[in-house]
Amino acid sequence: MDTNTKRYLRQFIYSMIAYVLTLIPSIMLITMYSDMPINPSIVVTALAPVIPVVFMIVFFLRYLSQIDELQQRIQLLAIGFAAGTTGLLAFTYGFLENIGFPSISMIWVFPAMVFLWGIGLAFISRRYQ
Amino acid sequence: MKNTLKVLRAERDWSQADLAEKLGVSRQTVNAIETGKYDPSLPLAFKIAELFDQKIEEIFTPTEAG
Repeated sequence: MDTNTKRYLRQFIYSMIAYVLTLIPSIMLITMYSDMPINPSIVVTALAPVIPVVFMIVFFLRYLSQIDELQQRIQLLAIGFAAGTTGLLAFTYGFLENIGFPSISMIWVFPAMVFLWGIGLAFISRRYQ
Repeated sequence: MKNTLKVLRAERDWSQADLAEKLGVSRQTVNAIETGKYDPSLPLAFKIAELFDQKIEEIFTPTEAG
């Protein structure tokens, strides 16, 4: 594994740990104060887990700018596949919600995209091996 | 695209990892170029040619269609 990938993986793992460490108290606090009307401190508490994810995305964009041309092509194709498929699934499910299918929270869009990006990466990398 | 990268590398007793480091690319990219699965960009092709002190056309030849 090259230096850039090692560094990115390290940053990704730290971000994920930070995400879990902010998520747990955030959920605990907003559950504890669920009866209170929405106010700025509750909004900040609810959004706290987003901060490590912002860092995760910054690290990923930096990684994308550092990797070589073939790695960039592979990532571009994988992200294109993930974005297109996620968009299509969300769009399709929107129509199903209109006819009474259970609502799915928007929070699942990002994990779905990351999952599909992983799948895309696996298949597209194989093409160049 | 066909290329003589593997031969040129072997003449110098370089591993794919060695060549990757000299070119500033990943080993995966060197392997993909050698096996014809990926054609390098023009800047990378010039880098390769300069490293082996040859012209690009001496290293890379288009694959015949059909």
